[in-house]
Amino acid sequence: MEVGQIFATILYGTLIGVIYGVATVGLNVIFGVLRIVNVGHGAFIMVGAYTTLVLYGSLGVPPPITIAASILLGAVLGLITYYLVIKHLVDAPELATLIATFAIGILLQETVKAIYGSDTRGFSWNLGFAEVLNVNIVYSRLAAALLGLLLLIALYALIYRTKLGLAMRAVVQDKEGAMVVGINVDRIYALSYTLGIMITVASGSVLAIYLQSGIHPYMGEIYTLKGFVIAVMGGLGSIIGAFVAGVLFGLFENASYLILSQIEGIQPLVLTRSIAFLLLLTILLLKPTGLFRR
Amino acid sequence: MTKQLLVVENLEAGYGEMQVLWGISLSVAERGISAVLGPNGAGKTTLLRAVAGIIRPWSGRITFSGEDVTLSPPHVKVGKGLVLVPEGRHLFPELSVEENLLLGAYTKLGRYNLEESLDLVYSVFPRLKERREQRAGTLSGGEQQMLAIGRALMARPTLLMLDEPSQGLAPKIAIEILDILQRLRGEWGLSILLVEQNIVKSLEIADYAYVIEQGRVVLEGEPEELSKKGDLIKAYLGI
Ligand SMILES: Nc1ncnc2c1ncn2[C@@H]1O[C@H](COP(=O)(O)OP(=O)(O)OP(=O)(O)O)[C@@H](O)[C@H]1O
Ligand SMILES: [Mg+2]
Repeated sequence: MEVGQIFATILYGTLIGVIYGVATVGLNVIFGVLRIVNVGHGAFIMVGAYTTLVLYGSLGVPPPITIAASILLGAVLGLITYYLVIKHLVDAPELATLIATFAIGILLQETVKAIYGSDTRGFSWNLGFAEVLNVNIVYSRLAAALLGLLLLIALYALIYRTKLGLAMRAVVQDKEGAMVVGINVDRIYALSYTLGIMITVASGSVLAIYLQSGIHPYMGEIYTLKGFVIAVMGGLGSIIGAFVAGVLFGLFENASYLILSQIEGIQPLVLTRSIAFLLLLTILLLKPTGLFRR
Repeated sequence: MTKQLLVVENLEAGYGEMQVLWGISLSVAERGISAVLGPNGAGKTTLLRAVAGIIRPWSGRITFSGEDVTLSPPHVKVGKGLVLVPEGRHLFPELSVEENLLLGAYTKLGRYNLEESLDLVYSVFPRLKERREQRAGTLSGGEQQMLAIGRALMARPTLLMLDEPSQGLAPKIAIEILDILQRLRGEWGLSILLVEQNIVKSLEIADYAYVIEQGRVVLEGEPEELSKKGDLIKAYLGI
């Protein structure tokens, strides 16, 4: 191992980690407020990735601007799925929401597949790079992580600095308390769910800008899994927790890849994926409420 | 006859398949204090939750200020000035005392009078002012109860419903809180629907009282009358 390899691992581990954080918070917001686990989470990320692919690829819209389009699309999808499905299941048994969100995910995948086919696609948005310690620092990846960070900061500000955010936190802390002060809890549910979907679809755009490849209708599944690992690490329901856990997970994943790739005769990429499962199991066994929960 | 602010007629409600309230009728006069007494499990909390809209009444009618609010959602009722201090307080434990109070003024009416209400609540409960930055979850039981009442007052209620406000408190603090309620009736023209374990004290401040048992009103009247039937009350309440 050389210094350059280690530097690359830390740099790209952190950058993808920030994006993992953004790609997880939606799960946290929805679980935190509605107590619903969105099993279709990854499909919304995939939709965001396609939004950027299509808008940039066919129409030439600059990738950062496609994030705004994803936010809008997320709002539309969030409101539709909330009022058609989720609203009726908020108080239903957990299994009902698991199946429903799973079904929404499949519906999104198959719709995208019907329109764009199942080929794996990509695009090229080249901003150049700098070379440090023999490592190429790719500017588009740096931009993707920065845009992701901006999204996280905006979400944080909304939840901790606005009246809507205060009402959301009130509902999280005591639903009946929220009712007796006159908060329209149904409305907060609708807004929180939609907000969660908006940031998730947006994170798909950010992810696409980072990867620029590997975009296909089923690409979201791995992010559902990673999202669960990160959300559980950070404590389901916590934004800062999701962010920190996302960065840690990115670093952990890249470091495992680096170490595994030193061993001959194995496939480091495949093994790195199973490491996510192992991590999830370990955390659930040792600290099921998350690493950063008081 | 005095004007009735809240009228509940033949209210039935419950949880899932289980019926708890079997046709409750009661009322609260304008500027009046009505007390609801009854043994554990009689349905007192269920009654207040149904009136507040937290659970949906099965049948019957709730009229507030002459308006039918039977099926209005809770936030609409709070907006009209029908406010509940729930059993178990239901504060926001991670938020500060002041944030809890600000949330109490969430409705239009509350927002409009925010500064004035905050001053009033702090003057009624100076202890809350001293602890405004403290997280609600770390307050003592008595302070939490003051905060629950203060938070409800921030909504500018015309009718305040209190579910065992003295529960778990030292008798001295409990009486202090009941005294404050009586004072607010005078100062704010507040009407009160009070569920209380402290029978003697609540009969003292109430001007009408109901005894409910197994979801039905089994006895009602003015406190003096009810006190005369002291043995009967004792029999119903099992004390
Ligand atoms: N959320 C609930 N789900 C199911 N049953 C409930 C629920 N809350 C209360 N009950 C039942 O309804 C009945 C009435 O309860 P309620 O809390 O209204 O009584 P209460 O008069 O307030 O009693 P206490 O004096 O102990 O507070 C009880 O049998 C109780 O077990
Ligand atoms: Mg009760």
